Amino acid sequence: MDVFIQTIVSGILIGGIYSMIGIGMTLIMGVMGIINLAHGQLMMVAMYITFVMAHFFHVDPYLSLLVAMPALFLLGAFIQKTLLNPLIKVESILPENQVLMTVGIGMVLTEIARFIFSSDYKTVKTSYSSSAIFIGKISFNVPMCIAFGFALFFTALLFWFLLKTDLGRSIRATAQDSEAATLMGINSSRITVITFGIGSALVAAAGVLLMPIFYLFPDIGGAFTLKAFVITILGGLGSTVGAIVGGIVLGVAESLGATYIGMGYKEMVGFVIFVLVLIFLPGGLKRLTKI
Amino acid sequence: MKKATVIFCIVFAITLGLSGAVMAKGSVKVGIVLPTTGSLAKFGEIERDAFLMAQEEINAAGGINGLKLELLIEDTTGRPEVGRSVVEKLITKDKVVMIGGGYSSSVTYATAGVCQQNNMPFLVNTGSADKITTSGWTWIYRLNPPVSKYASAVESLLTQVIKPKTVAILHENSLFGTKGAKKFDKTCKKLGFKVVLKEGYEHGGIDFKPVLTRVKQKNPDIVYMISYIMDASLLMKQAKELKLTPKMFIGGAAGFTMPEFKENAGVASNYVISATLWHQVLPFPGAMEFYKKFKARFNKSVDYHGAEAYAACYVIADVLKRAKSFKNTDIKAALDATDMMTVFGPVKFTTWGKMKNQNKAATYVVQWIDGKLELVWPKEHATKQFQYPIDWLKVWGY
Repeated sequence: MDVFIQTIVSGILIGGIYSMIGIGMTLIMGVMGIINLAHGQLMMVAMYITFVMAHFFHVDPYLSLLVAMPALFLLGAFIQKTLLNPLIKVESILPENQVLMTVGIGMVLTEIARFIFSSDYKTVKTSYSSSAIFIGKISFNVPMCIAFGFALFFTALLFWFLLKTDLGRSIRATAQDSEAATLMGINSSRITVITFGIGSALVAAAGVLLMPIFYLFPDIGGAFTLKAFVITILGGLGSTVGAIVGGIVLGVAESLGATYIGMGYKEMVGFVIFVLVLIFLPGGLKRLTKI
Repeated sequence: MKKATVIFCIVFAITLGLSGAVMAKGSVKVGIVLPTTGSLAKFGEIERDAFLMAQEEINAAGGINGLKLELLIEDTTGRPEVGRSVVEKLITKDKVVMIGGGYSSSVTYATAGVCQQNNMPFLVNTGSADKITTSGWTWIYRLNPPVSKYASAVESLLTQVIKPKTVAILHENSLFGTKGAKKFDKTCKKLGFKVVLKEGYEHGGIDFKPVLTRVKQKNPDIVYMISYIMDASLLMKQAKELKLTPKMFIGGAAGFTMPEFKENAGVASNYVISATLWHQVLPFPGAMEFYKKFKARFNKSVDYHGAEAYAACYVIADVLKRAKSFKNTDIKAALDATDMMTVFGPVKFTTWGKMKNQNKAATYVVQWIDGKLELVWPKEHATKQFQYPIDWLKVWGY
């Protein structure tokens, strides 16, 4: 029984971080209709910012949220404005030019990171990195709990922003029908820039929160892009609630798989769910939640 | 118009080819395949640095009978298919005289296959799956011991000092990890230890707690782990979080001997032991100097990976010096006749057991004692007394 509870706890905690990675991608997906395949690489950039802050200026990783999130917002907005938006205007045989562009951006970011930091593994060591609270026999990793808390907080904030503010409503309007939104007087190209920025800032937060637990090297992004992709499909394209549930489902499923099937099949469990969702629930959890 | 372009291309290609041949006159080209990007890049970089350092020294000391040794380092990105294509490129386009390097078992196995097909001598220095030298390939030579021998020093330590009853084995599910685990499983059965759990995992995971929880439930006497570097430190960190306390944590080389393991795992790395293939205090000529030079130049310490690459470069230089010509058969004859001393120990390629052209190298046991990697086994080479038994909870500061 202890094993089962410990597994579920680990799964939910890691799922919180997955959710944050997924939300950013799903937001971009919803508004722009493209999968951002540089998502994990943007997270990698945020992690390097955290590393530099901690290593050279001795700033606590959680405080670097204040630096990494705005920085990545600007980087994301810059990418959208100067690299992706111009592509919409270009006629081409492939409608997915922007997706290909994000792949390229991801590679460039990875190689720049390798150029500056080399391929060394970096970590940020904190006094609480591997501290744990025990409730009964179940261990709760402190940084994971903090990360989970932050994930809830940012999600709530995002919801409030999307539901209550003008800008948030404009984003939702653009996501639903960008032509109609334009007719209503919304500057949709500005909205895409802001959305990409917010998406990047959210994945930056996930990266920063991951930093005390995990490690960092230039090629770390790809694996997380893949995770985000699975979560986005699982949750339903463009659905924020779906991304949250999808992230946690993926975390718990991986954890259960690792305990009861075998750690080597952990990734497989995630992809089996991915395939099952595509077959039996195309459209993802969005079909159930309707948000 | 089109014709003109084609002719121009041909002329251009010929000129390029000629200039290449002219440039190569003063040097002898050796291809080195290493993963310098991708998730194994860390190891590839260490070996590349060691290769380049040895190359400079060899060329400063006169090179290969007056010719310069030119290393063409190609990136395998840690993927077998890329490894195959870069080796093909080295053989057909760059016309190298032999191939060296070879990190990661899966990639090395794939590249070795290409070399064998093309009758190209390949000196492997790190890829360690047994089948690289048990496939009956005649053009493949290996400097490092095969993975099945990695634990031989650990075995004697286990039977003589720790005497465990139960063992848990965790390994990454790569060729290196799976084969090493299988072999250790067999060894345990032979020595009469009960293997209570044997579990593979995917490299690069964040959360190892599910599997560690299961290990804890079985309460084994020793936990044997075959992991690359960051998995190794996460495993130890999370074992600490879960208060998993066997009699001893043992690493099967790879990640556990790297300086980064200590830096990342912190206090959780203390007193962990690992199999290793090399330590700078070993009585091999130049071992300590190599360690110091590497540290001074690259500002990081070096473990057996660097020593293997450095020694391999000297073996390559030695072989090329002794070869009658740079024809593949002459180089092969020189490789067969190799009998030299390197920083990695004596090197001689022989056929034993199922192995072909395999160097016999000894293995050792190291222990992290207060942030330093000390050689603890075999006793005659030990720099510090083997610390045992250990109260883990006290070490971890609970």
